[in-house]
Amino acid sequence: MNSPHQSGTINRLDRHALVMAVWLPLGFVALTLIHRGFAAGQGWWVAAGFAPLLLGFATHLIINAVTGISFTSREVSLALSGYALALLALVFSVLLTPGFATTFLLPVGAGMIVLAGAVIFYMVTSFGLRRAFDLFDVIRDNNPRRSSRLPHRGGRK
Amino acid sequence: VTFLVSSALVVLAAYGLYIAALVARRGVGFGDGGADIPGWAVMFSLAGLMVAGVGVGDQIALIGRYGLQAAHPAMGIVLGSMAGLLVHKRLWVAARVAGLATPGEAIGRYYGSVTLRVLMLVLALLFALPFAANLLSGAAQVINLATGGAIPRVPAVWVMSFFLFLPAVVGGWRAIILGTAFQAALLAVAILLTVAMGEGLLIEPGFFNGGIPVAEGIMWDSIPGVIQPVAGIGKVMPQGGIFTAVGVGSTALIWVGLMLSPGMLYLAQTARGGTSGGFGAVWLTAGLGGGLLLVVLPLLAARGNLMEKLFEIAPFAGLGAVLVTVVGAQMTVAFMTSSGSILVTREIVLPFVLPGLSSRGQRLAIRIALATGFFMLAIIAAFAPGLSAVIGSLALPLAVQLLPALLGLCFIRWISRGSVIAGLVFGMLIVFFTEPPGLILFEGLFLELPWGRWPLTVHSAAWGLGFNAGVVLLAAIFTARGSERAHRDRLHDEFSARWSIPRGWPSGRAALWSLTLIWAFFALGPGAILGNTFFSRPVFAQGEAALGLPALWVWQLLFWLIGIALTWWLAHRSRLGVTDARLIRSIDLPDPAGYDAVRAPGWIASGIGRLTERTR
Repeated sequence: MNSPHQSGTINRLDRHALVMAVWLPLGFVALTLIHRGFAAGQGWWVAAGFAPLLLGFATHLIINAVTGISFTSREVSLALSGYALALLALVFSVLLTPGFATTFLLPVGAGMIVLAGAVIFYMVTSFGLRRAFDLFDVIRDNNPRRSSRLPHRGGRK
Repeated sequence: VTFLVSSALVVLAAYGLYIAALVARRGVGFGDGGADIPGWAVMFSLAGLMVAGVGVGDQIALIGRYGLQAAHPAMGIVLGSMAGLLVHKRLWVAARVAGLATPGEAIGRYYGSVTLRVLMLVLALLFALPFAANLLSGAAQVINLATGGAIPRVPAVWVMSFFLFLPAVVGGWRAIILGTAFQAALLAVAILLTVAMGEGLLIEPGFFNGGIPVAEGIMWDSIPGVIQPVAGIGKVMPQGGIFTAVGVGSTALIWVGLMLSPGMLYLAQTARGGTSGGFGAVWLTAGLGGGLLLVVLPLLAARGNLMEKLFEIAPFAGLGAVLVTVVGAQMTVAFMTSSGSILVTREIVLPFVLPGLSSRGQRLAIRIALATGFFMLAIIAAFAPGLSAVIGSLALPLAVQLLPALLGLCFIRWISRGSVIAGLVFGMLIVFFTEPPGLILFEGLFLELPWGRWPLTVHSAAWGLGFNAGVVLLAAIFTARGSERAHRDRLHDEFSARWSIPRGWPSGRAALWSLTLIWAFFALGPGAILGNTFFSRPVFAQGEAALGLPALWVWQLLFWLIGIALTWWLAHRSRLGVTDARLIRSIDLPDPAGYDAVRAPGWIASGIGRLTERTR
C-alpha cells in the first residue's frame, strides 16, 4: 500500500506521462504540417500546423480537470519559453528573410494570436478577469506585507 | 532520411528511458507496478497492442495483396474487445480477492493444475520470443529499407532491443506500460497523419478513385464465397482470395487470442480499478482501433509504397509512414518480451526455485530475467528471422485456446480441470497441425499430409477452438460434479455475491447475447457474404445503386459501428467494464494440489536438487 505522499507523487508522475503522451505525438503532427508548409511555400499548411497545438492545449486542460492537478511551473515556463522563441523567430524571419512576410506572416501570426487567445480565454474563464491579471502582476508582489499571506485577507497584497 | 529516422528512434528511446528513470525514483512495485497501473495507460496500451499486435506492416501488406477481404477480419478487434471485457474484470477481481496475481497462478490455482500453469508460461514465452522476434525483425527490415541500407537489419535489431530493454530494466512493469501507452498514442497519430498526407499530397488515384490494385484473379472488393472446399494454403490456393466469409470469421479470432495472451491478462490484473476499462474497450479498442484497422488501413494499402513517395514530397510525413510499422512493432515487442520475462520469474523462479527472496532480491531476479529475455530476443530476431516467423505463427491461435479455461474461471463453474486440460491439449494439437510448424515438421519427418495451412479456408484458431470446446463440453459432462467442484465454487460464490452482472430489464441479458450472435453472424460469419452486393445491388431494387464506394467497405463500416454499440452495452449496462476496489473482500483459495509457494512440484524440486548438488 502506498502512503498518501507516495500516491501523490505517483499521480503526478502518471499525469506527467499522460501529458507527454499527448503532446509528443501532436507536436510531431504540428512539425510535419509546418515543415511541409515552409518547404512548399504554402501558408495554409503552416496555419493547419497550429491546429494540433490547440488540440494539445485543450487535451491538457481536460487532463488537468480529470487529475485535479493544474499546470506545473515547469510546464508553464517551457510553454512561455517556446512561445517567446517562436515569436523571436517570427520577428527575425520577417526582418531578415525576403518574401517571408508576404507568404507566411499571416498564417504564423494568426496561429500565434489564436494560441495566445486560447490561453487568455482559459485563464479568464477559469480564474476570472481579476485573478487572471493578478497572476501576471509581479510588481504588486514585490514587497508584500507579511499579513497579506493570512487566509482571511482574501488575497489582498 | 537516415538522419530523420535515427533521430526519431533516439527520441523514442530517450522518452522511454526518461519515464523509466522517473518511475524508478518513485520506487513502486517493480514487477507489477504496485498493481495500480493508471487507467489511461491501460486503455491506451490495450488498444494500441490490439492494433499493432498482429503487425501493422503485415496487415497493410495483406490488404495490399487481397484487398478489402483481408481487412475484414480486423472486425475481430471488436470481438477481442468483448472477450477482454468478459475476462479481464473477473481476473482483476480474482487477483485482489484470492491473491491470484498472475494469469498462470490464477488458472493454475483455480483449477489446481501445474500443467495449466506451465502451459500458460509456454504461451508467455512464445509471445515473448519468436512472436516478438518476428515483429522486431520486420521493424528492422523497414528501417533498413527506409534508410536505403544505411542502417542494416541486424545492427538495427540489436540497437532496438537494447533500447527497449533499458526502460524495462530501469523502471519495471509500470515504466513498460507508460512507454507502451505513449507509443500507442503515437501509433494512432502516425497512422492518421500518414493517410491524411498521402490523400492530400499524392496525385495518383487512391482508394476512392482506383480501389486497391491487386493481382489478376483476386477479388479486392468482395469476399470470395462463404467457404471453399480446398485443402489449405500450401496445397491449393482458394479462388479469388483466401478470406472467405468463414475464413474472415475464423481469422478474426486471432484478436481474441491477442486479448487473452498472458501479457494482456497480466496487464488487466495489475490495472487500477475504475471505469476506464470499459471506456477503453468501447471507445479506444473497438472504436478507434477498429476504425484504424477497418477504415484507415485500406486507404494506406491502396497507395502502394507510400513511404518512399512521401519521403520525396514531405520528409516528416515519410517518417510518419516508417513510424506506423516501427512504433507498432516496438511497443508490442517491449510489452510481450517484458511481460513474458516477468511472468516466468514470478510464476516459476520466485515461488519454486528461489522462494523467500527479499524484495530487492526479487527485483534483481526480474532484472536478470529481462536481460536474458531481451538478449535471446535479439539473437532470434537477428539470426533466425525465418524460424521466428514460423514458430511465432503459433502464438495467437494457441492463445485463443485459453478461452474455455478462462470462461470456466470467470463464469462457468462446471468446467473442470480435466475437461480444460483435455480440451487445451486437443485444441493445441489441432492448431499445431494446421499451422506451418506442425506441417513442416510432420511432412519433413514422416509423410505428406492431405491438408495445408487453414484447410477449407478456416483459420487454425477456429479449428483448434472448435475441437477444444467440443472436448471441454464432452468431458465436463462426466467431471462437472467432481471432488474439486467445492474449491472452484468458492471463487464463483464470491463473484455471484458481489460482482454479478446486473440483469437490467427482463430478458435484457438474453437480448444482449442474441443481438451479439446476430451481429457476429452478419459481421464476421457466413452472413458477411451479403456485404458484397448489399449496398451496390440492393435485393429489392432492379438496378445497381451508384454508391461510389465499395459495398463491402460500407458493410464493414456499418457492422463496426453496431459492434461498438454492443461493446458499450457489455461494458457499461452489464458493468463488465467497471471495477470497484471498495467491494474487495479477501477469500481463501488454497491450491488444491498443495503447491502454494511452500512445496515445489517434484520435477522442479529434483531439477534444482541436481543442479545445486553438482555445483557443490
